[in-house]
Amino acid sequence: MQALLDFARGPLFRLTFALMVLGLMRILILDIWGIIEAYRKAGDKEIPWKSAIIKTIGWLIPVKRVAKRQPFYSLFAILFHIGLILVPILLYAHVQLWKGSLGFGWITLPKSWADLLTLTTIVFGLAIFLGRLISRNTRFLSRAQDYFWPVILIIPFITGYVCVNMNISPLTYQIFMLVHIFSGELIFVLIPFTKIAHCILVPFSQLIIALAWKFPARVDDDICTTLNKKGAPV
Amino acid sequence: MSTNIITSEEREKAFAAKKKPEIIEKQRLNVRYHVEDYDTADRPRRFLEAFAAILKHSNYRFALEHFIRMSAKCSRCAVQCPVYQATGDVRDIPCYRSELLLSVYRRHFTISGSLKGRLLSTGYLTDDKIEEMAESFWNCTACKRCTIECPAGIDHALITHLGRYILSEIGIAPRALVVSTREQLEGKTENTSAIPLPALLDTLEFLEDDVKEEKGVEVKFPLNVENSEYFFIPAVSDFLMEAETLMGIVAVFAATGDSWTIGTKYFDAINYGLFYSDRMLERIILKLYGEAERLKTKKILIGECGHASRSAKYYVPTHCGGKNALPVINIMEYTYNAIKEGKLKLKPDTITEVVTYHDPCNIARQGWIVEQPREIIKLFCSNFVEMTPNRSENICCGGGGGTVSIDEIRPYRTLVGGKAKADQIRATGAKYLIAPCANCKKQLRELVEDQKIDCEVVGLHDLIYKAIIFDKSNKNDNSNK
Repeated sequence: MQALLDFARGPLFRLTFALMVLGLMRILILDIWGIIEAYRKAGDKEIPWKSAIIKTIGWLIPVKRVAKRQPFYSLFAILFHIGLILVPILLYAHVQLWKGSLGFGWITLPKSWADLLTLTTIVFGLAIFLGRLISRNTRFLSRAQDYFWPVILIIPFITGYVCVNMNISPLTYQIFMLVHIFSGELIFVLIPFTKIAHCILVPFSQLIIALAWKFPARVDDDICTTLNKKGAPV
Repeated sequence: MSTNIITSEEREKAFAAKKKPEIIEKQRLNVRYHVEDYDTADRPRRFLEAFAAILKHSNYRFALEHFIRMSAKCSRCAVQCPVYQATGDVRDIPCYRSELLLSVYRRHFTISGSLKGRLLSTGYLTDDKIEEMAESFWNCTACKRCTIECPAGIDHALITHLGRYILSEIGIAPRALVVSTREQLEGKTENTSAIPLPALLDTLEFLEDDVKEEKGVEVKFPLNVENSEYFFIPAVSDFLMEAETLMGIVAVFAATGDSWTIGTKYFDAINYGLFYSDRMLERIILKLYGEAERLKTKKILIGECGHASRSAKYYVPTHCGGKNALPVINIMEYTYNAIKEGKLKLKPDTITEVVTYHDPCNIARQGWIVEQPREIIKLFCSNFVEMTPNRSENICCGGGGGTVSIDEIRPYRTLVGGKAKADQIRATGAKYLIAPCANCKKQLRELVEDQKIDCEVVGLHDLIYKAIIFDKSNKNDNSNK
């Protein structure tokens, strides 16, 4: 068991983390390359930077979007995201691990905060999962990954919380820790290939939808040639 | 936005089948709008070829790539969609509508999607799916409200726009739009309403006489005056249906004394290309710009029309030289500036009845023209009330995205697409509903009639006409220097 834990913590962690970073870098580069290409091809290069930036900030810090419609859903989603992002990065135990291998660390969350955010992430993650299950609209739209994600995302939070806060036998601890690490690593690997890619792509959305309406100049002829429609009536 | 789902009676009316079964069978297309006969063979292959050609020569691909990675299927957009709010049909959720096309893109134009599809032998584009897209993309009014609500920033209106464009390349597009565009680009009259030039000239003369009679002022619609400051071009239907809007505009110019002109070679700003084909959009823009160049004008001035303004404002620079292209402004911007510069005065309290303002999606959604008309209205209307929501979050009239020109779907437009708008108008209790857009005006008139709302739909310049003050200095100025 200890050997398995060491493997999960060591080589497997490095591999899966590297896969996530590389995968995210790939889609980030593709996204940015797409933006550059679209800008190069656009006939009109007046991009509404200001409004795109304001809208992007508005969505990254979506306080304004809470009160208006679907207040509970948006509030739950925001609270869920706060814990989801902060806890894995700023948890004292995680930072210590990074410090051990990188030689430096960063600020950490006080334990009480970390515990609270862990619990809110679990609760709101479950709420989002149930909401998706109950709502006729989301049931109609959902793919398998849409049900899978809220569940898989809260597993490391539940197991981590148990390991840190509950008085359990060493074997149970090891089992929970193993599930904690494995589930985290599964998340790492899947992120770049699923909708969770939005963690890195969302800041570009508003720019992309502004730019996508900027068409290349005079392509009527090119399309007609490709489709053998040259000279065809309207 | 709060509107209720339509009653079963309304549903029956809105979705009643009007097409003959033999036509549906012949065209292999069970949609409410009429379509010209087209080659029905091998539709999926031809759809994919058109899709590929468009991707190759356009800017859509990078956005689609972004969207397929981002789509979270959260259904927040449903809350904002007036069509979904009225039908309650899950197939009207904007995210579902987008998925129709995104799934084709994923399956046939991405490596992972086509590998997966081939391995599992699934996901092929079928005739059924094409039919579903043909219906779904024209249920949408392209109002873009869903886009403001999508946390992932997916532009469902862009996807609908692209979907309609691809469909049109295989011959599936509303006949009303195609026939009008054909007349505009290839017909004798070169405008969507097929108005012959002599009829237009007669109309303008009548209007000049009317203004003289009512206001005691000599006005002139200047024709083909080269080197004018403004080349004025409205939706051509205004010449037939919106006499008062045009009288308001000619009166404004009479008061300001600025030089302007109408071109007799080309006088229609309508651009249905924006609704169904980027290729047609481009051709119409080039035609409009050609007339502006012929007249050696300095600015292009679009009349009271949302989509005509948006298509010219955004696609004149695209196709006619970017920053160096002639600037495009909307008539409300012109009038607003004239007031600010002191060139135009309006009599306060001219209109004392309750007045409300409808923001046309195409000029308001991006926040382009929202405050100017309100400031103008408040100068001469003493009882102005807002609809809620308004400005860039306004609710569509229900006839957006070209659907207003499809007469055969009127019950759908006034019972489904315009339901939320009707509730909004009713709540204001307005006597005058100002809608500075040819499309919105037509739709809203049909809407207030079908929904039995006691309210008069007018253009902004229709009311300005009532309030305009002619100084001695600008009286008799025919504004054609």
